[in-house]
Formats: sequence, structure tokens, C-alpha cells
Amino acid sequence: MARQSKPHSKHSGASPMRYLTLIVLTVIMIGPLIWMLRVALSPIGSELSFAALFNADISLGAFKSLFSADGIQRPAINSLIVGVIVTLGNVPFCFMSGYALARKSFLGSKVLFGLTLLILMVPAHILIVPLFLLVTKLGMFDSYWALITPFLVTPIGVFMVKQYVETIPDSLEEAARLDGAGEWRTLFSIVAPVCKPILAVLAIQTFLVNWNSFLFPFILTNSADLRTLPVALALMQGHQAIDWQHLMAGSTIAVIPALLVFLIFQKRIVSGITAGAIKQ
Amino acid sequence: MNTSSNSYRSTRSGGLGLSSPWIITLLIFWLFPLGYSLILSFTDYHLLARDVSWLGLENYRTLLADPAFLQALKNTLIFTIGTIPITQIIALSLALLVNRSFRGRSFFRSAFFVPSVTSMVVVALVFTNLYGRGGYILALAQLVGLNPPANGFLLDSSTALYSIMAMDIWMASGYYMLLALAGLKSIPDELYEAADIHGAGPWRRFFSITLPLLRPMILFSLVINGIKSLQVFVEIFVMTKGKYGTATGVYDVYTRGLERFEFGEASAAAYMLFVIIAFFSAAQFWLMRKRKAAL
Repeated sequence: MARQSKPHSKHSGASPMRYLTLIVLTVIMIGPLIWMLRVALSPIGSELSFAALFNADISLGAFKSLFSADGIQRPAINSLIVGVIVTLGNVPFCFMSGYALARKSFLGSKVLFGLTLLILMVPAHILIVPLFLLVTKLGMFDSYWALITPFLVTPIGVFMVKQYVETIPDSLEEAARLDGAGEWRTLFSIVAPVCKPILAVLAIQTFLVNWNSFLFPFILTNSADLRTLPVALALMQGHQAIDWQHLMAGSTIAVIPALLVFLIFQKRIVSGITAGAIKQ
Repeated sequence: MNTSSNSYRSTRSGGLGLSSPWIITLLIFWLFPLGYSLILSFTDYHLLARDVSWLGLENYRTLLADPAFLQALKNTLIFTIGTIPITQIIALSLALLVNRSFRGRSFFRSAFFVPSVTSMVVVALVFTNLYGRGGYILALAQLVGLNPPANGFLLDSSTALYSIMAMDIWMASGYYMLLALAGLKSIPDELYEAADIHGAGPWRRFFSITLPLLRPMILFSLVINGIKSLQVFVEIFVMTKGKYGTATGVYDVYTRGLERFEFGEASAAAYMLFVIIAFFSAAQFWLMRKRKAAL
């Protein structure tokens, strides 16, 4: 508002120099993804070079062949299943636990929050060996259980909800309790609606992180049937026979859902990153 | 009051039950593995071990004398120290470019952020192509007479690590741009107006207002960037499999643990790396507390 009335307003447009800089930067930032799409849409086996690709026909060959016989439907479906289930777990579980940590004082609640903060700082790499051994000993190795169970509640989610709940006044909950509403009813029909913004951020972030995740899906499974999209793509690359058209078509398929989620929920993603600003 | 005792009771009940999903996950999938791995790091446990013997600090000593491990640590440090300043300077520049409102601003912001929502595997695959024969980065380098390696940047020890670092800078800049934008937003407009009245030029404004007030956010970004860079793994796995002098600390943990199945040694390597990262994490924790106190 105040800016609108400033005499030398700088917001109606930018200088041509600034636009030129911005356009060059956009080409640098988006260029690799445009290249990916162009290679994916070129005839299988065609030469890769700037000039050759500029003149090459548009072909859906690589996409068609990926969706035939031993294609990537299975990994794509796996990624979707894992992403959706992990997200559906994180929203209620992180909500319940985060709410409890914000509002309840129970036996060990201080310790629990301390440990949650501590775990937030633990780098994931330290779990590579022990999580592999544990999952194997629990008989979950190379199963959907391995891809889902360890990630159903995440410290970052619990932390995010806890921080959020602490900013909302507890008068609504008190009123509900005085009216005789039970614990669960208060939680899910009074508190949850108020927490919708943070739960949406949590859901979007959880889905994106899991959709793009490579390390744990890779080390906790073995068979081709259980590969998620990133794992399938990374392992495809090892094959001598595979060509770039297929790899880039597969990459395109992996990028599109994430890009759509980003474009639709941009505001929430940005607010989640800047408000939480912790770590993924 | 009657209600206070009522609310007291209600805040006590159900807390354990409500947080039980997290308590169970924390115990089984976080605390147990962490403790287990620490114990393993003092043993010679490996895939075919029939009996496991206690080695004390032997694994740690072995690793510190192992050129491969030391090289991996060195690469990790090169990666971290080499990428962070450049990423942060680019991120801040991008943020300053798109901070004031102008037509098309949100488009450019989104464009810069797109690499950050792309899967690392996909980014690594695309850049493997771009850095190799036929890719436009190699072609551009040849065009400007840089004389790059004939087989591409990734198949040569003198360029592979730096090429992956450059890709990481490209990928991460948009993310830290967002953090910088949040920092810029918190600087009151009045300060710039006052500077305008006093006739301060753009450089003066940047160095006496923007940079000092952005300091907490920059520190925060540096620490997060540090923690992430010290854990580089996926891009190394996809692009070079640790060859051509690109093996990093986490890549070393992975090969020891899950390719050679030396669980004890791999755990020791993971814990040594953890100590380095813990330094950054402690800094992050401290900053978080400070930020919370400031609110």
C-alpha cells in the first residue's frame, strides 16, 4: 500500500537490462529441463547435439516404449503408492504427536521433545547401515513395508505441527471441553481445521520428498518390482543398452507430477520453506 | 477456579497415547539404529561373520589410515567449501533481482525455484547427458575455446568433481533464493526510505542496510547448506559411481556398508562423518534458539 504511493515507483516495470539478465538466468535455470524434454521427444537413437536436436522430428517413441512391456509403469505406480501412503500417515500422526507435544505435559514429554529436536539434527546417512540391517532382521527387506513403515511419522513433521499449535490460542479447545466434547472430537473437529495450513504444507512436502527420494528406497529394496521411479531411473542408467531418449522420457515422467504439485501449491510450498526453514 | 483444575486434568490425559505413533517410530527406526550402529562401529561385524568380536577403536584407526576414506573426506570438504559461498552469493543476487515487484516477477521466481523441486536423480541424469558428448554444456565449453576433456566432463578426474559441484550450485540456488527473499521481506521499507532521503546510493544501501539485516538469514542458509553438502550421495552414485576422484564421505559409507558389507567399518565411517556434520547441526540448533528468542 505504502509502496503504491511512493513517487519514484519501481514496481510497474523493470529496466530492459534487468529483464535481459532475468531472461538469461531463466534460460540457464530451465535450459536443462527443456533439453531433457527435447531429447525425450526425439526419435529413439537419433544423434544428440544442439543442431541435430533442433532439426529432429518430434517423436513419442521413447514414451511409448517405456509404457510397453518392461517399462516404468510399475515404478511410477510404486512411487505413487509410497508417496500417497506415507503422506496419509504423516498428516494424522504428526498432527497427533505435534499437538500432544504442544499442549500436553505427560510423563517424558520434555524428553520426547528433546529427542525430537536431536533427531532433527541427525544426518540420514548414519542410518544407511543400521536401517538396512534392522529392516532385514524385521523381515521387511525388499517389501512395501520397508518403503513405507520407517517414514510414516517424521521428526520434521512433528516439529512443524508442534510449533504451529503453540501459536494458536487454546480457548477454542477449552470451550469444546467445557461443552463436554471428548478428546478425539476436540482434536479432529476443533483443532484440526485450525491447523489446516500447516497440515497442507506438511502433506505437500511429504509427498514431494518421497516422490523424489532415492537413498532409502534404493538400499531397502532389491527386486525390480519394488523400485520407485528415481531408483528405476538411476539403475536404468547403468545398462549399456539404454539410450538417452528412454532415460530422458523416464525423467520427464518423474518430473511432471512434482512440477504440477509445485505449480498448484506454490504459495504453500514457499510459505512452508520460509516459515519452517528447517531442513527437508 | 473450577475450570483451571479441569483444564489441568485435560492437559495431562492422552498425551502419551496421542504421541505414541511418533514414540514408536522414534524408538524403532531412529534411536535403536543409531545406538546399534554406534556399537557396530566398535566391532568387526560383516556379512559373513559367524561370530563378532570387539575391536574397540580399531575401525576408526583403520579408517584414519585408509587413503580411500581420507580422500572421500577431502572430497566432501572440497565439495562443501567450494559450493556454499557460490551458491549463497548467487542465491542472494537472484533474490535481489526479484525482490521488488515488477511485471513477470512471480514467473522468474518460479523459474529459478523449479530445479529445487526436481528429483536429484533426474537432475543428475540430465547433467550426465549435458556434460557428456552431445550435451550442450560440453559443446558450449568447446565453442568458447575452453578445451574440455574429449570424453566429457564426468569421465576425467580433473573435472568430474567440479562439474558435479557446479550442478549442485545450479540446483540449490533457487531454494536459498527463497530463504533470502524471506529475509529481505523482514527488512522495513522505512530504512530504505530514510537512506534515500540521505542520498545513499544502491551500493551504500546494500552494504549498510541489506547485508547487516540479512545476516541471521544468511547464517541460517550457510548452516543448512553445509549440512546438505556434507551428505552428498545421490549425484555421485548416478553420475560417476564414485570414480574419477568423486567419492564423497557418504558414498564411502555406502560402498563399505552395502557393497562390501563391512558393517562395522561402515558404521565407524558414518559416525566420523557425523561428528563433522554435528558441528554444523549444533550451529543450526543454536541459531534456531536465537531466532526463537528474537521472535
